[in-house]
Amino acid sequence: MKNTIRVERAILNITQAELAEKVNVSRQTINAIESNKYIPSTLLALKIARVFQKQVGEIFMLEEGD
Amino acid sequence: MKTRFLFPHKYRLVGWVLAIPSFILMLLVLHAEFELGFLYYGDGNNIFASDDANFLFNIHRHNFTDEVGSLLLIAGLLMIAFSREREEDERTVKLRLESLLWAVYVNSAWMMFAIIFFYDVLFAKIMTYNICTPLILFIARYNFVMYKDRRTLKNAGL
Repeated sequence: MKNTIRVERAILNITQAELAEKVNVSRQTINAIESNKYIPSTLLALKIARVFQKQVGEIFMLEEGD
Repeated sequence: MKTRFLFPHKYRLVGWVLAIPSFILMLLVLHAEFELGFLYYGDGNNIFASDDANFLFNIHRHNFTDEVGSLLLIAGLLMIAFSREREEDERTVKLRLESLLWAVYVNSAWMMFAIIFFYDVLFAKIMTYNICTPLILFIARYNFVMYKDRRTLKNAGL
């Protein structure tokens, strides 16, 4: 699974730490999601999408092999 | 995120305070036959009393240093191992469970090795250590994983 969090953060101009605070997780978790090392739960994906005011499918997308 | 079955974060410190002295105490008990006098229970006059009663309520005399020490050690290690992180989230839950799986595998592999290669008194001592090795392995692994995680973030400069 890939995601566009880094791009969306740049659009909103917020840091990983700020996003982490908004969705109530650690900075490490946001960092791990951005570098595709961790797949967030549905709950966290929905919260992240809400911060960017987009649908989950616009932020997280399946890759080949998923 | 709500995580079940974990102690509050501050219990980790309590855990270290309990575990370190009791670990040292247990090393002394195991290797130097150290006993604390005030933990002695028994009828000194009854010379026929058996030392090796198998059950708490059959004991005539016994020194409870090792019992008290190992109970404190296990309680302390549990608190170190299973306290919430300051920043607890769904990923710490995953890292914690993965470390626990790793620790059980490594401990079991070590036990299988010990069963094959060590016998008698030496094996009994290794089994005594086994009271706390799964927890110690878990604590070491989990803290290493969390340390590496923090370093990754620091190196990313974010």
